[in-house]
Amino acid sequence: MNRIPRVLSVCLMLGSAGLYGCAGHQSSEKALQSASADFQKVKGDTNVLRSAPRDVIRAGELLGRAERLSSYVGSAEDVSHYAYLSSRYSAIAAEHSQLLLNQEKLARLELERQRLQLALREAKLAGAQQQGKWAEDQVISLSTQQSERGLVMTLGDMLFDTGRAELKSSANRTVLKVVQFLQFNPKRVVRIEGYTDSTGDSQENLQLSRDRAQAVADVLSDLGIEDERIQVEGYGDQFPVDVNTSERGRAQNRRVEIVFSDEKGKLSTAR
Amino acid sequence: MSFFLKVRPLFAVMAIASLFGCANDPAPTEQLKLTEQAVAQATAVGATDDEPDMASAQSKMAQAQADMANKSYKDARMQAEQAELDARLAEARVLTQKSDEQLTQVNTRLERLRKQLGAAQ
Repeated sequence: MNRIPRVLSVCLMLGSAGLYGCAGHQSSEKALQSASADFQKVKGDTNVLRSAPRDVIRAGELLGRAERLSSYVGSAEDVSHYAYLSSRYSAIAAEHSQLLLNQEKLARLELERQRLQLALREAKLAGAQQQGKWAEDQVISLSTQQSERGLVMTLGDMLFDTGRAELKSSANRTVLKVVQFLQFNPKRVVRIEGYTDSTGDSQENLQLSRDRAQAVADVLSDLGIEDERIQVEGYGDQFPVDVNTSERGRAQNRRVEIVFSDEKGKLSTAR
Repeated sequence: MSFFLKVRPLFAVMAIASLFGCANDPAPTEQLKLTEQAVAQATAVGATDDEPDMASAQSKMAQAQADMANKSYKDARMQAEQAELDARLAEARVLTQKSDEQLTQVNTRLERLRKQLGAAQ
């Protein structure tokens, strides 16, 4: 009499285990289907096959394993496991393929960029030659001085239109000189600092000074100077070099300064 | 009573089957090493727990190490295998994402260059 409840409880346990297995079976069936769909997708993509053949093969092997196991009773856990691994390999293959496509595209664009940089340099050189000596004397306020901040070159106010951040073409000669200097001194880096006068909203001035400094940095970068060598700062109406009460003083304060590092690439600290 | 007698061999078969399942799994030491390498490599390229795949790789690896300590080697192996691939996927995703960003950057520069060239001519 005593054995019957014991056996009954064992039966109950087995029954619940069976139910559990059933639930596992359903989810493993689902995992198998999605793994199979993932695999079909990468298998049909010639780019993926070309760039990540090994991952695709692994995905196929693991899927086959999961499918074989699914015909055995009680293997739900293993089926889900191998289906999961297969799906992961498919995803990895797709990701690797995307990476390779991106890299190929990058290489093409990089060539195009070099071509355009050359063309731009030639165009600027031609423009600078046409402007002749007049440009150098009149338009470009090209004062370079050695101070505690290092070598500093000032680009005057007349290189920008009022309130605008784009460099005028009259800046070509200066910019080319800077580029040439940086190309002869490959270790030197620069910090480009924008300043405005104190007229108007100080927040807007800060933005304008930053935009103007960035515009100069963009041109240098377009002409082939690596971005890593260029820092950009905007100081708004801080650090005036002259009074803001006269028109002349204000014009002096509106400027972009290029601070050069020493020949070892060491820049003075930013203000 | 005869019913239980009939069922008895079935119990025996199941017990043996479950024993067989346990006894067959060696400690997945090598797999765990592979997993740790994959996670370290993904971390090195900049994958963080913000990536769902990376988070899952980390937690599965921790689970695998715990299973290892408990001598449940089959669970340890499965967790470690999944964690390895999670980490490798996270790594691949980070690299693709980085190259996407590079592409955007080069495209902006190209656009700027073309604009400048148009203005210069």
